[in-house]
Amino acid sequence: MSLPRARFLTAALVCLPLVLTACARSEDSDTGGGTGAGSGGGEQVVATPSGGAAGPGCTLEAYGAPKLDLKTAVIGFSQSEKEANPFRIAETQSMRDEAAKLGVKKLLVTNANSQLSKQISDIQDMINQGAQALVVAPLNSDGLEPALNAAKAKKIPVLTIDRKINAKACDTYLAFLGSNFVEQGKQAAQQMAKALDGKGKVAILLGSSGNNVTTDRTKGFVDEIEANSPDIEIVAQQTGDFARDKGQSVMEQIIAAQPDITGVYAENDEMALGALVALKSAGKKPGEDVQVVSIDGTRNAVQKVVDGEIYAVVESNPRFGPLSFKTLTDFYAGTSIPADVIISDKLYTKDNAAAEVGSAY
Amino acid sequence: MTPVSPTGPAGSASPAGPPSPASPTGPAAAGAVTAVTAVTRRERAAGIVQRSGAYLVLALVVLVASLAFDSFATTGNARNIAIQSSFLAIVALGMTFVIISGGIDLSVGSVFALGGVLAAYGMRWGSLAAVLLPLAVCGAIGLLNGVLVGYGRLAPFIVTLATLLGARGLLLVITDEGSITRVMPADSLLVRLAQGSVLGLGWPVWIVVVLFALGAVVLNRTRTGQSVLAIGASRDAALLMGLPVARRTTLLYLASGLLAGLAGALAAAYSGSGVTIVGVGLELDAIAAVVIGGTLLTGGAGTIGGTLCGVLLLRVIQNVINQIGTLGSSYQSVVSGAFLVVVVVIQAYLSREQRL
Repeated sequence: MSLPRARFLTAALVCLPLVLTACARSEDSDTGGGTGAGSGGGEQVVATPSGGAAGPGCTLEAYGAPKLDLKTAVIGFSQSEKEANPFRIAETQSMRDEAAKLGVKKLLVTNANSQLSKQISDIQDMINQGAQALVVAPLNSDGLEPALNAAKAKKIPVLTIDRKINAKACDTYLAFLGSNFVEQGKQAAQQMAKALDGKGKVAILLGSSGNNVTTDRTKGFVDEIEANSPDIEIVAQQTGDFARDKGQSVMEQIIAAQPDITGVYAENDEMALGALVALKSAGKKPGEDVQVVSIDGTRNAVQKVVDGEIYAVVESNPRFGPLSFKTLTDFYAGTSIPADVIISDKLYTKDNAAAEVGSAY
Repeated sequence: MTPVSPTGPAGSASPAGPPSPASPTGPAAAGAVTAVTAVTRRERAAGIVQRSGAYLVLALVVLVASLAFDSFATTGNARNIAIQSSFLAIVALGMTFVIISGGIDLSVGSVFALGGVLAAYGMRWGSLAAVLLPLAVCGAIGLLNGVLVGYGRLAPFIVTLATLLGARGLLLVITDEGSITRVMPADSLLVRLAQGSVLGLGWPVWIVVVLFALGAVVLNRTRTGQSVLAIGASRDAALLMGLPVARRTTLLYLASGLLAGLAGALAAAYSGSGVTIVGVGLELDAIAAVVIGGTLLTGGAGTIGGTLCGVLLLRVIQNVINQIGTLGSSYQSVVSGAFLVVVVVIQAYLSREQRL
């Protein structure tokens, strides 16, 4: 009895600053059954063999970093965007949980609130506060140079997670941990082909422009469709900026222009959830008249797979905590770290969604 | 609202009037005189608090942070705070003049981003072009704002909102919808300048020092500065005095555009590339810094040094929240917002004090 109330209170307290800054999340009420967003779910699995095909790898000597025991270390984590969507919430939480689990002496956490200048100063601040290793979720692939140079000057290893930066691995930064976004798009295309039996008209809801996640998820999908499903026609590609409301309004416009579409590929779950609303209000039944496939694996979307409204969701696992700290531990133990540590993303379909919705974030 | 006198709200011009009819000797008259001097003292105190409140708060926050955190009062941290504040400071300098004149410039965030992207674009022709190109384009946008506000008598809020959108659009055109980020070579003069330092402080910091010194001289020691104060206090009165109101206003928005462009170019050189996503909401940070610094949002009064304090205060708050480390960054907006509310309330109270 008291446990859920305590959890609710904690949630309310945690949400208070978010509400004050007018960015409250609307959907954290339906997580009751699980252990809370982020901490309970499935761990990331590395797809590329470590130290294998991805080049010679980076060792402690090559990077020039001093040896370090994580238990006595100060580690800094720089988050890029506000914890206002499930992915960022789960990512930050996973870092905090793993640091606590390993008994890291101190984990500094900053959030750039989508401002590049703030991410630069956040990283510089953490270096000044004595951070001995850094994990950075970069806001942008370019522009973090002053911060990374400061880290390099002090021989502080930097891991970048979820997005890649345009710099040399094992030099400006240690390594990149993340998903293969092209592969995610390809998987989504295969599911779409299966859902439509290889024939139909598909609309794509693109993510925000000028972003490698969007570009890669589009490329993977379009290339796969063109190569293996000649009877599937891509009739519309419009940006929904990774946002639910934008996904909905763009979907409304697409239905008006292309009333006979049979498939929707949303490059993230939020846009897919928006699209479902638009489809229903246009009198179409998602899962029967129109097949929806999306990427991310948030709990709300996986629930829609259980409900039969979304055909499949390709997961993009945000729980970088365990893998980040494992990579750092390995690095300090003398293991060579490949430049790209790519995680394998699982797939939610009607076959496994009901069983695994509890571990979605 | 504030006295018309261009010397500022604490000027002694207004209380000089009332006592003259009560000048004959007598107990009643003496009472009136003491009452007047009491009001004057209160007014003067209010003026001092309004002008230097930001310094006091900044000193207090720095003192508390130094005592609370070991890594706060270090040269490394001071150096970081200085360089990190410098780009916003340059933007806020232009904003100070615009707000003192009773206007507002919402376009500076977009112009800042455009300046950075143009600097990276212009780098193909060398460092000089990388400075001149953003200055030319951003200056033109500032000039457009100025002409529309000064000569066209249009509301600055709407005019600069339009150029905010226009400048961001132009940026997207140059960068193919934001997908192209041009890198600035690390060996170019501009990048070495922006990333280099002298006497322990980065070059951008020295540029800020020079620009703010110039700004303070212009505001307090020149006819231009005094006419800006007069325009902000009362545009009609300034017109009646025969001041070139339209020309001065145009000049202010031109300067604001130029400074935002310069800040953008320097920030891009500092970060090594013309990143397209910067500057969103920067205009609000600049306005917040100016207001926290004691400049009246209604115009007519303000100081250059106060703005610098405002910028530093915003940055120090961010630094302190990072020092605490366990607080979510949303708290920074909460604290900065709270500061702003307190400042605005105090300002409203003080300007009411001074009107009595």
